[in-house]
Amino acid sequence: MAKNIIVIGGGPAGLEASARLDALGYTVFLVERDNHLGGHLALWDRLFPSGDPAEPVLRGLVSKTGSTKILLESEVQTLNRLGKSFRISLSSGVSVIADAVLLTTGFDLFDASKKEEYGYGIYDHVVTNADIESYFRTGKDPRIDNPERIGIVHCVGSRDEKAGCRNCSKVCCATAVKQACELKAKFPKAKVYCFYMDLRMFGRGYEDLYLKAQKEYGVRFIRGRVSEVSEKIDKTLQVKAEDTLSSTPLKVSLDLLVLMAGMRPSKSGSKVAKMIRLDTGEDGYLSVADGFTGMQATTIPGLFVAGAATGPKTLPETLAEARAASALIHDYLKG
Amino acid sequence: MTVPFLISQVSSPEIIDRIPGAYDHFVLPFCIGMVFCLCWLGVGLVRVLANLSSSDRKDLLLSFLNPKILWKDIKDIFCDCLLHLKIWQRKPLLGYMHSAIALGWFLLIVLGHLEVWLFAPRHLYLDNGALFYPIFYRYFIWMNPGHTTLRGSLFFFLMDLCLLYVLSGIALAVFKRFRSKLLGMKHTTKPSLMDRVALYSLWGIFPLRLLAESFTADLAGGSFLTLPANALLRYLFGENLYFLPWWWAYSICLGLFFVSLPFTRYMHILTEPLLIVMRNAGIKVRHPRKGFAEAEIYACSSCGLCLDACPMNVQKKNLRFSSVYFIRFLRRHNEKKINRIADKCLQCGKCLALCPVGVDSPAIRRRQRAAGNDPLPFDYSALKSPVPAGGEGKVMYFAGCMSHLTPRIIKAVLEVFRKAGEEFVFADEDGGICCGRPLMLAGKDRAAREVIEANRKMILESGCTTLVLSCPICLKVFREEYNLDGIEILHYTEYMDRLASRGRIIIDRKAVSYVYHDPCELGRGCGIYDAPRRLVEASGELRKAGKEGDESVCCGGSLGSLTLNYEDRGKITAGALENLLANNPDRIVTACPLCLKTFSDATPGVPVVDIAELVAGDTV
Amino acid sequence: MIDFGFHITPSGTLNLDDVDQKTVDTLSRADYGFRTCIACGSCTASCPAGVFSETSVRQAILSVLNGKDEKALRLLSSCMLCGKCLMVCPRGINTRHLILSLQKQFEG
Repeated sequence: MAKNIIVIGGGPAGLEASARLDALGYTVFLVERDNHLGGHLALWDRLFPSGDPAEPVLRGLVSKTGSTKILLESEVQTLNRLGKSFRISLSSGVSVIADAVLLTTGFDLFDASKKEEYGYGIYDHVVTNADIESYFRTGKDPRIDNPERIGIVHCVGSRDEKAGCRNCSKVCCATAVKQACELKAKFPKAKVYCFYMDLRMFGRGYEDLYLKAQKEYGVRFIRGRVSEVSEKIDKTLQVKAEDTLSSTPLKVSLDLLVLMAGMRPSKSGSKVAKMIRLDTGEDGYLSVADGFTGMQATTIPGLFVAGAATGPKTLPETLAEARAASALIHDYLKG
Repeated sequence: MTVPFLISQVSSPEIIDRIPGAYDHFVLPFCIGMVFCLCWLGVGLVRVLANLSSSDRKDLLLSFLNPKILWKDIKDIFCDCLLHLKIWQRKPLLGYMHSAIALGWFLLIVLGHLEVWLFAPRHLYLDNGALFYPIFYRYFIWMNPGHTTLRGSLFFFLMDLCLLYVLSGIALAVFKRFRSKLLGMKHTTKPSLMDRVALYSLWGIFPLRLLAESFTADLAGGSFLTLPANALLRYLFGENLYFLPWWWAYSICLGLFFVSLPFTRYMHILTEPLLIVMRNAGIKVRHPRKGFAEAEIYACSSCGLCLDACPMNVQKKNLRFSSVYFIRFLRRHNEKKINRIADKCLQCGKCLALCPVGVDSPAIRRRQRAAGNDPLPFDYSALKSPVPAGGEGKVMYFAGCMSHLTPRIIKAVLEVFRKAGEEFVFADEDGGICCGRPLMLAGKDRAAREVIEANRKMILESGCTTLVLSCPICLKVFREEYNLDGIEILHYTEYMDRLASRGRIIIDRKAVSYVYHDPCELGRGCGIYDAPRRLVEASGELRKAGKEGDESVCCGGSLGSLTLNYEDRGKITAGALENLLANNPDRIVTACPLCLKTFSDATPGVPVVDIAELVAGDTV
Repeated sequence: MIDFGFHITPSGTLNLDDVDQKTVDTLSRADYGFRTCIACGSCTASCPAGVFSETSVRQAILSVLNGKDEKALRLLSSCMLCGKCLMVCPRGINTRHLILSLQKQFEG
């Protein structure tokens, strides 16, 4: 009899792992609380650094899931151990006994309205990185009205003790530069400013993206964190920052301000972890067995993790972790 | 023992001196204690007065000539020092305990002297034992059983009643020492060695007095307490009671109490009236240690109510920064600790609000900060405060530094202005000069004066008639230090409350429940509690917080603290949120940009909004 | 001074060997913000005094680390301790305490 595996979270990591485990002959139950698969990837328009569309990537991931039993709109109600196996019951009424559980609960996007001083939800022309992606997918957003001056704020809710998040969210710098290019391409007359603290373009092809943004799109990079935004009567925004490289406080008028909301630990993921008594670190992300050699394992036998549930990750990293977790689960169930 | 041989006669006086010369050696301990204590107090009083500035001394003198202030002095002393009304209001049992000891003892002294004045007036002269005779009256007299009057019996009754009153207070005090929680105190202070000496002698005084007077009740008279006790004693020890040791014990106890008094927390009993008189005369703390501050320091009863009040008590390690310890170290001249405690305080003022004596320790802390920080350099020559045009006769809106970090408040206030059709000018739309309060909180008073002057000039020159502020920190300093004659200074909650009451805005009530957080500077600082609540009630259901009004808990974001780090502030914020969410409101509403930002940052699980947003959003 | 027709200007290079590390250490102990600043510039940008004259906590911290005490003091002389920088600092530095510590160290 094929062994059962529950994968919690239907984002890229969950999809990739389900596909692999299904191919290995296991019975996979993929649990997703939303009514669609793909997680944040489904909300994204294009991917950095290449700028390839996200939709075909997601379609490819879904198409490979094979005979995986996909349970949408199913929130985990209880998850507990039953000897060596696990018992899960879902809000849809389904309950499953499984031999292994993989948590691919991903991340939440930081709620940008918490950074009061940036005026998200208060001013008419302040949006987030997710809003920009949605705008490019749907072509609609009343806040984006042919802007001639666009500002992009890095590290919103990342590297910020006041926002309760010390860590770097890893993907926002590249996303910001990508979106800067896209916005410039969409609004060729616009002047685009990126306000950054440190530009962390660490991956393959990222520096090329940065270079392209400077050379082809003329994006102005200002090393300084935006501290205050105010709205004038004509609804233009005035942004204050310090150009720390020239030690000058500066202000600039903008028609659109894009906030790079960072990654926060998934609230629903933490809830599931609590049910099974899996610890979370001080930063709120799920704890792994070992930071070097046991990134996909946990201290609980049979419980595995992959993707941004254990900290900010890029899409390729997430997919690689999903594959690694699949191999690990296979080893575990075989032995 | 000298028993008078006089036969009881109606014609003889009611009270007869039992001891010729009206003296016995046992009065010595009491007399020594009393004289020592009086000398100490005299020197202390002179020191306090000598350290006052001459203008303060003049104010004090004039206050005694002003019948209004004099009446207030008397009223305050009676209500605070004897009745302890402030404690009654918060913790009735604790209030009863204090008033029983204070008022009861006071009445015993007054009635005792009255008795002497009525029955043996010659002993009220100093050369005839005035110092001790009224205290040990019952030892020195023999009551003529053949000549009892209603007047005499009434005194016997009253004295026993007062004694019983005091004894009930003492019993509670003994009980409190071991079980303070039952009287409503979570935290309590540890008494020092001298405190214990005074405490135990205080406990001893009244039971010993009861015993001593009971032993002599058959000779000197008594009432419902002492006469039955006397009968019991005679039943136990026979007819000839050997009573002198008890009078000795009583006197020693009194002496011990008065000798130790100057070195204990019980100095507050004697210092509080001085503090009240000086406070009513309008004297303020000018030096952290001398003059008025000294009166405040010695008026602290070290009761520890401020421990329960201090928002820092969420962490046990920070309890040591409470006011009671600050005052204790000031008394002990422990400079290092004084400075650390002074700098840590959030200046939320809750300890002052709850202090039964009204010791303004936040003000003393500011003086202490000033001692170190006022001499620090500053140069405001470049600061400019441009006068906004067209403000003549209009409302001026001054948002303040912090509101610029919470744009939703500014946006909402401006929207209310527009909806009410108010003509206004926005003084610091593009930023302005700080109000000066943060400098004052840090003790940089000279610097504060300069920024206050700059803003004051700008406001006066604008010609505006009303000043609306959105930050309570600004409000406090504008009201207290700016002297803007002819200009009404309002917090926007007061202003909007007025708009609503005059029908200039109509607020639509929604089915949402709120809890209102009283910002420290708005509530305790400026006494504004009702206007914000009326506005909240107009737009939804107002639920109660665990503690609110003048007992509201600081949000933790206060600029008052100079050294508190953000981790500890976070703990205070969490404590404040727990207090606010006691009755499960849908939203938290506040009226201060700093509180708003602090609470929103802490992710309380329910939305945090500002009253201005409520009013702007719900105005139809 | 005799005019030789030319000036010898001091080197523009900062020699860290010459910086008095003792002062830096004392100050860092008084307030660890001297060590944890990441120079994002939020404080400078939000500073109300900075509108009128050069005022910057960020620069003052760097000046201290580079042994330029006088510059540090000058950069904070207009500070009104309003606390905006405290609110915006992403590292949670107690800027007001840092400023007072700095002024006490060099002037107190």
